[in-house]
Amino acid sequence: MHEISIAESIVQIAEAKAREQNARSIQVIKLRLGTFTTIVPDALQFAFEICREGTLSQEARLDIEIVPMVVHCVVCEASTQPEKGVCLICAECGFPLKIVSGEELQIEYIEVDSEREEQIWSQCPSEFQSRPMF
Amino acid sequence: MESVPERISVQTNVLNANQQTAAANRQLFSDRGLLVLNLMSAPGAGKTTLLEATIDALRGRFRLAVIEGDLQTDLDAQRIQALGVRAHQITTGTVCHLDARMVARALDAFPIGDLDLLVIENVGNLICPASFDLGESLRVVVCSVAEGAEKPKKYPVMFNKANVVLINKIDLAAASDVDLMELERNVREVNPNATIFCLSCKTGVGLAAWTDWLHSAVELRSTAAMASA
Repeated sequence: MHEISIAESIVQIAEAKAREQNARSIQVIKLRLGTFTTIVPDALQFAFEICREGTLSQEARLDIEIVPMVVHCVVCEASTQPEKGVCLICAECGFPLKIVSGEELQIEYIEVDSEREEQIWSQCPSEFQSRPMF
Repeated sequence: MESVPERISVQTNVLNANQQTAAANRQLFSDRGLLVLNLMSAPGAGKTTLLEATIDALRGRFRLAVIEGDLQTDLDAQRIQALGVRAHQITTGTVCHLDARMVARALDAFPIGDLDLLVIENVGNLICPASFDLGESLRVVVCSVAEGAEKPKKYPVMFNKANVVLINKIDLAAASDVDLMELERNVREVNPNATIFCLSCKTGVGLAAWTDWLHSAVELRSTAAMASA
């Protein structure tokens, strides 16, 4: 259940970023997760719900974008998406394949509620608004 | 005050903190010309027995120590200490893998300045340890024949990230009805670049090829460190 460690890191990274921006709370955490990792999305969601307690992410939704595995042969230039099982030897020419994607575990962005000062113009002295326009 | 929803770009790898600590560990090892193995396998594949056999073969040829990772006990560390080799136990409690921080903390209490080889025996598990870099020089995955020929296909990430795969307990191949060639082919499918050794710690078959290889790796590492010093 290493998803707990992963979820803890997600909450910590999001928390640091949100505090840096003086955010009040985090609404969304967007994660890109490759299929060639050892992380199970459902287990990660479950772990996230435990780890977010008492943090700015308490009410946050974890949006997981699944990134499929893509492999590429540098010899015959074929790019494929392994469907069932992983074979890193090119079916066309027998050379080793390079993993192009599928190993992602990256926080893309967070969506936060910020406290922002009211617009400057609304704080201007009223005399500016009441001054005759001619 | 009004509430304004706002999107903030993060673009950070979730394992960033671990990778930074691993990089610091790696630097520490590199400064000392130390070769470090991260030894991983499923529970019961024979990591500790293999380690005992490796120590036996290399004893007196260079200085080595072991960090043991285990959920509950220090039984494995005791086995290594019984051979007269320094061993440090990390008990993870319920955590299913070692991470770079646990190793860094262990190094605080475990001097490595006088070593040529450090072996870190990870928690027996073919899933979780794959994601956590410890700062090792080489990832060594042990797979016992009795686990079946399809193990690499079932745990492709772990086997893919291995530098060395040790196929252990080959004396049990016939009894387990496992074709060694097929098992080796399955390792190659998920990791065409792995160095593979087939051996048995019980009969000793194939063990010398592995320990000679390891011996040269340790020597090359310390020569490289001396050259850059």
